[in-house]
Amino acid sequence: MFTTGSKTLIGAATLATIAAIVYGVTQDGVRGTIGLVSAATVLAVLSAANVALRDSNVFVDDPAPVETVSAAQRSGSNSPWPLLFALGSVIIVVGLVSYQPIFVIGVVALLAGGAEWTVQAWSERASSDRGWNAAVRNRLSNPFEYPLAAAIGIGIIVFAFSRVMLWLGSKTNTTIAFSVLAAIVLVVGFLFAGRRRARAGAIGGTIAVGAIAIVAAGTVAGLDGQRDIPVFETTSLWMQEANEHPEEYAEGAAEGKHPAEFICESPEKFPEADKKASQTVALKANATTIVLQENGELAFDVPGPAEVNPDGLTIPRSNPTNFIFRNETDEERRLSADLGIDDDGFRDMACTPLVEDDGSQVLTLTVGKPSFAAEGVTSGPTEDAEDYWFFIPGVETAKLRLIVP
Amino acid sequence: MTATPRRRWSRAALARRTGLVAAVGLLAAGCAQNAPQDTWDPAGENAQKIHDLQWPVFTVAGIVGVIVLSVVGFAIWKFRDRGQPIPEQTHGKPKLEIALTILPALILIGVAIPTVGTLMALNETDDTECIVNVTGQQWWWEFDYPVQDGCGGIDEPIITSGQMVIPADTNVLIRGTSRDVIHSFWIPRLNGKRDMVPGRVHTLRMQANEPGIYAGQCAEFCGLSHANMRMEVAALNDADFEAWKANQLEDYESPAEGTLAAEGEQTFITNCARCHQVDGLRDSDGQLVVSRPDNQVFSGAAPNLTNLMTRNTFAGATWDLITQERRDQVWEADPDEFGDLYLAGVEDEWFNEVDLREWLRNSPAKKPMYADPTRLEETDGLVRGMPYLALSEAQIDQLLAYLLERK
Repeated sequence: MFTTGSKTLIGAATLATIAAIVYGVTQDGVRGTIGLVSAATVLAVLSAANVALRDSNVFVDDPAPVETVSAAQRSGSNSPWPLLFALGSVIIVVGLVSYQPIFVIGVVALLAGGAEWTVQAWSERASSDRGWNAAVRNRLSNPFEYPLAAAIGIGIIVFAFSRVMLWLGSKTNTTIAFSVLAAIVLVVGFLFAGRRRARAGAIGGTIAVGAIAIVAAGTVAGLDGQRDIPVFETTSLWMQEANEHPEEYAEGAAEGKHPAEFICESPEKFPEADKKASQTVALKANATTIVLQENGELAFDVPGPAEVNPDGLTIPRSNPTNFIFRNETDEERRLSADLGIDDDGFRDMACTPLVEDDGSQVLTLTVGKPSFAAEGVTSGPTEDAEDYWFFIPGVETAKLRLIVP
Repeated sequence: MTATPRRRWSRAALARRTGLVAAVGLLAAGCAQNAPQDTWDPAGENAQKIHDLQWPVFTVAGIVGVIVLSVVGFAIWKFRDRGQPIPEQTHGKPKLEIALTILPALILIGVAIPTVGTLMALNETDDTECIVNVTGQQWWWEFDYPVQDGCGGIDEPIITSGQMVIPADTNVLIRGTSRDVIHSFWIPRLNGKRDMVPGRVHTLRMQANEPGIYAGQCAEFCGLSHANMRMEVAALNDADFEAWKANQLEDYESPAEGTLAAEGEQTFITNCARCHQVDGLRDSDGQLVVSRPDNQVFSGAAPNLTNLMTRNTFAGATWDLITQERRDQVWEADPDEFGDLYLAGVEDEWFNEVDLREWLRNSPAKKPMYADPTRLEETDGLVRGMPYLALSEAQIDQLLAYLLERK
């Protein structure tokens, strides 16, 4: 006959199967469905094994073992795992009708509760010796429980701490917060160090209080939200501003807030975007190098040693291409690319910030339109010059043809 | 009349025969006649270096493997359980253990020295004379020839796909990258693999000893149709390569008015030109037709079809534009004849209309692609590969006529 354990597993397998069907049909989520189908399969296999082994139950018509075998022993203790199992089931249902992450948490809780419950139920019937049963349970479960619990605990602490960090609004606040925290740790450490024999309970309790404090602070900070992170000005933002709000842009220029030209056509310094430009250079692998030489001409070097035609630089269409611009002149200069008029009718230009003498900057270009279809390019050596062009604002001799097939 | 008793094999005899059949089957599997991607048949300098390395390495590995398996097999057979008592157990044989540590180390050092040397030699690109930019994307390869002094001089960029054309007996510099995910460029008879990574440019030297055509395919799993991301390299002698370049840069010619191809030109502009570029194509108002695949396709690119019929394949070199008979002629041509056959392109009599028609009718059904717009949330509606265009049979006829003139 079916034992209680078998019935539980059969019920769980049935439930998982129904959940898989319901989730698969209503949510159309591949991963969730795979997880539930996997759970149903595992539970079905466990059910079959349990039924086959009769849940390790003894024959009722065998009088000898009634008093002595493990199955005849009273249950060891109250177990929290059925509670976690039930909680996981509820969370899954909530997740099904709300958010996928909640559903995943429910599945994790269900699996964890089920696994722990299974191991505990098995261990309590492993022998008639309770102490040995507890030991065998710990030997099986602790290698999983301790690392997982530690990872979850550390994860919560780190997450809570990161919320606090993101909430702190300024460097001053951060400095104060860290100073106070460091002082607390120092004082507490000093107090414990000063005692000849510190009790383990006291140390554990103090750490627990600290952990709770961090989690509480993280919760409060998380609910309050992150500080406002300012958007720093870039050359592309200046181009966008000039294109989309020409009147306000001209107004700002008239008030002396910035030069009047497009940033990519200007040799002058713009606020913020040109500030400390060379300190923001990023290393890009296998980039094409474009050099403004002392004689005021542009030279370039592409990855690979084969000779290229110095009159033009060809890059693939619709693919980000990295350039490193190096300024070898005595004045601050920026590298600009004139890509004509874009689909919205705006001037399509890209440029680096101003780069000081011997400084470098990266420019990444993605050009979606072939250069033979370029329109409105004004930066070539002549008015009717075809293709796109690299140029240096303020240096008439610095022109480089950019070809996109 | 008595029935002949059925012959029964013992288990051992059955096992021996099964093993023999399996061994012969495995051996025979390596004897394919049509193996265009055979690393044991090098046709270029770098491939030859790889070949020269793999022979001794595989020989050493084979000998070691045979010795180890023989000793293990002998031990299993010799000391099998026949009910004998377990022999006296001992622990450790220092001399033997030291010998068995040193010997493999020496063998590995012996293999490592030529391996490292070959790896360094394969990375040499200093002597290249011609540049081809190779860009991988799901699931086809684009080849563009930048403006350069190499390759006999190229004044305007050339762009093609599926088949890369190179001058034979010339060291070509491949500058490869990717538009979406990591791919790997591999023409087994000409060189080893080189990963093509978004945001990076990887270089590779390629050279074919003599004119001919060489098969390859993407060697890094890159999604649903990875197996259908193939490519071919056609190597031409210098004169033929010059002719090929000149043809690629010829001005566009519209089909004659009133022809089916002329109707196809309009159909192309309406249905295909959003993604596929045909250089020089103008609409009825005389405006240049410029494709914008970056607004339609996840990778941001679609094959340039300006000279489609000068190549022999389409859709990631998965299907031929020429008939099987013509393909056999091209692939089996002598080096002296290859150029003429290849440069002839797709002629009417050799046109494989069937596959191209099927492709135009329903490309996602022919080649697996994520082209269903209802399932493209992660790409913001951009398709991966060519979508179903719901073309009528009349439109397909028009397009076939138009494309057949793209030489």
